Amino acid sequence: MIDQSSNRAWKSFAWAVLLVTVVIALTPYVWMVLASFKNRVDLLSSVPKWSFTPTHANYPAVFIDKEYWPLAINSVLISVSSTVLCIVIGAPAAYGFARSDFPGKEDLFFFFLTTRMAPPISIAVPLFLFFTSLGLIDTIYAVVIAHTSFNLSLVVWMMRGFFAEIPREIDEAAMMDGRSRLGAFLFVVAPLAAPGIGATAVLCFILSWNEFLYAFILVAFDGRPLTVGIPGLVTPHGTLWGQVAAVAIVATLPIVLFTFLVQKQLVRGLTFGAVKG
Amino acid sequence: MAIVFDGVTKAFPDGTVALQALDLAFEPGEFLVLLGPSGSGKTTACRLLAGLERPTTGRILVEGRDVTDLPPRLRGMGMVFQNYALYSHKSVYENIAYPLRIRKMPAAELDRCVRAMAELLEITRYLDRRPSQLSGGQAQRVAVARALVWQPSLCLMDEPLSNLDALLRLHMRTELKRLHRELKKTFVFVTHDQEEAMTLATRVAVLREGALIQYDDPREIYRRPATRFIAEFIGRPAMNTFDGNVRDGVFHASGFTCRLPGKPDGPIVLGIRPEQIQLVDASASDAIRFAVDVVEPVEPDVLIFAKSEANALIVRTANDDRAYDPGQPLYLRFPPAALHTFNAISGARLP
Repeated sequence: MIDQSSNRAWKSFAWAVLLVTVVIALTPYVWMVLASFKNRVDLLSSVPKWSFTPTHANYPAVFIDKEYWPLAINSVLISVSSTVLCIVIGAPAAYGFARSDFPGKEDLFFFFLTTRMAPPISIAVPLFLFFTSLGLIDTIYAVVIAHTSFNLSLVVWMMRGFFAEIPREIDEAAMMDGRSRLGAFLFVVAPLAAPGIGATAVLCFILSWNEFLYAFILVAFDGRPLTVGIPGLVTPHGTLWGQVAAVAIVATLPIVLFTFLVQKQLVRGLTFGAVKG
Repeated sequence: MAIVFDGVTKAFPDGTVALQALDLAFEPGEFLVLLGPSGSGKTTACRLLAGLERPTTGRILVEGRDVTDLPPRLRGMGMVFQNYALYSHKSVYENIAYPLRIRKMPAAELDRCVRAMAELLEITRYLDRRPSQLSGGQAQRVAVARALVWQPSLCLMDEPLSNLDALLRLHMRTELKRLHRELKKTFVFVTHDQEEAMTLATRVAVLREGALIQYDDPREIYRRPATRFIAEFIGRPAMNTFDGNVRDGVFHASGFTCRLPGKPDGPIVLGIRPEQIQLVDASASDAIRFAVDVVEPVEPDVLIFAKSEANALIVRTANDDRAYDPGQPLYLRFPPAALHTFNAISGARLP
C-alpha cells in the first residue's frame, strides 16, 4: 500500500514536470501561430490578447505582395542540396573511418568534430571573403556549400557508428559473392545502414533548413532562404510582427509535421544497431 | 599442384606476424583443413587465399596463375563465415540468389540453381524467411548454399561450425562431408577443433604461431605427430607426455620408470595415447604404478585421470568406471609400439 501511494505521488510529480516542460516549450510557438492571424492592433495591444477576430491578411501580404514565396523555394533547394551532398560525401567517409585503419585515423576523426567546436560567427567573415573571391557570394551555392561544410562533420560522426555496427564479414561476403569493394558498399552495406542514413539525412535537413547566420551573411537578395527573409520585415517604420509570424509559421510547420511523421523511423535510425547477420 | 602458397608472409601494421613464409600446396577436389589454436595464422591463410588480405611477401597460385593481386571477386572462390554474414535485409532466397544476380544470370536458370541448392541443403522450406527468423544451423546452411550456388571451384570455410551447439555441429559436419563428396569441389576449412579436422580432412595442415608444423593425411598426423605440440593437440583426449631422462635404455620420470631401449642417454619427452595404455595386474613384470585421481565416464568409455608424483596422465578404457576409486593404485603398461619420443628442447619427433 505504501509502495502504491508513493508510486502514485511519483507519477503525479512526473506528470507535473512534463506539463510544465511542454507549456514552456510550446508557449512561444502557440503565440507565434496566434500572432500570424492577428491584425496590427491586436498584435500591439499592451495586454496580450488570447481571443481576437482572426485575419488571413498577413500571409498574402508577405508572400505575394512582398514576393516572399521564392524564399520558400530557396529554403527547399538549399536544404535538399546540402543534405544530398552531405550524405554523398559523408557516408563513404564514415564508411572509410569504420572499416579501414590508417595512421592518424582517430586524430583526423576528432578533427572533424573540432570544426563544430568553434563559435559559428568566428568563421563567418572568412567564409564571406572566401566566397567573395570565388564569385559565389549572394548565390544559393555559397549557402549550400557552407551548410554542407558544417553538417558534414555531423554526418561522419553519426554514420561511422552505424557502419561499425554492421559486421565486416557482410562486406566480405558481398565481395566473395562477386562485388567490388565499392559495389559491396553501395549495394549491400548502404541498404543495411538505410535507417541510420535516413535519420542522419533528416537531421541534416533540419539543421540546414533552420540555419540563419551563414545564410544571412552570404546572401542578401535572390538566394535568401526563409530564415533570412524575416529580418527584412524589421522596417524603419516598425516591425511587421504579423508577417514575421506568418513567415515563421511557413518556415517551421513543414519541419514540425515532417518530424511527427517520421519520428518512429527517426528514433529507430538514431538507435540503429539491430543489424544482425 | 593446383593451389599453392609460395613463401607467403603476412605481417599486420601493428607488428604481429600472422604467417611466416608459408609453403603449402594442395590438389583440386581435396578437403584441406587448416588446424591450429587461436593466433596460429589459420584464418589469415584462409583470408589470404580468398583475397580479403594481401600478403606482405610471397605469392599465391591457383592452377599456375598468380592470383596474389586479384580482388576476391576475380578469384572464383566462395566463402562461408563463422558468423554466417547473411544479408539481413534480404530473404533467404535472395541471399542465396545474390551471387547469381551479380553475375546477371537469367531469371529461370537462377531460380533453378537456387532451388537445387536449397534442396541439397534441405532449406527449401525457409526460402521466404528473413535471416533473423532462422536458427543458427539453418543460417549456416543458407551461408553454405550462398557460397556454393554459383559453382565456385573452391569453397573456403572459416570456422563455420564454431557458433553451433554440439549436436548440430556433429550433424553439420556430416553434411559438409556429404556435400564435398557430392559436389566434388575443393574445400578449405579452418578450425581449431582437432576432431573436425580428423573427421573431415583429406589432408590437414597444422599451423602454430604462423608456421606450418605438419602437413599430412589425418591418420598419419594421429599416428606420427611431428612435434610434441601436435601430439598434445590431436586426439581426444590428447596424448600424455612426460619429461624425463634416458639412462641405459630406461626412461626415468618423476614418479615412474619405463623401459625405452635404443635411445641415447639424456633428456627426452615420452608420449603415449590414453587409449593405448593397458591396465594390468600389480603382479605384471613391467607394471607402472599410478594412483587414481578422478574418474570420468564418457560412455561407452571411461577416462581415468591418474597421478604419480609430478606426473599426471589420462587412461581411456572400456572398463566399468565403478571399479576405480580415487586414491586407489592403478597398474599400467605402456606397450613399446605405442610409445612416441620427442626432443626435450625442440619438441621435434625422434625417429
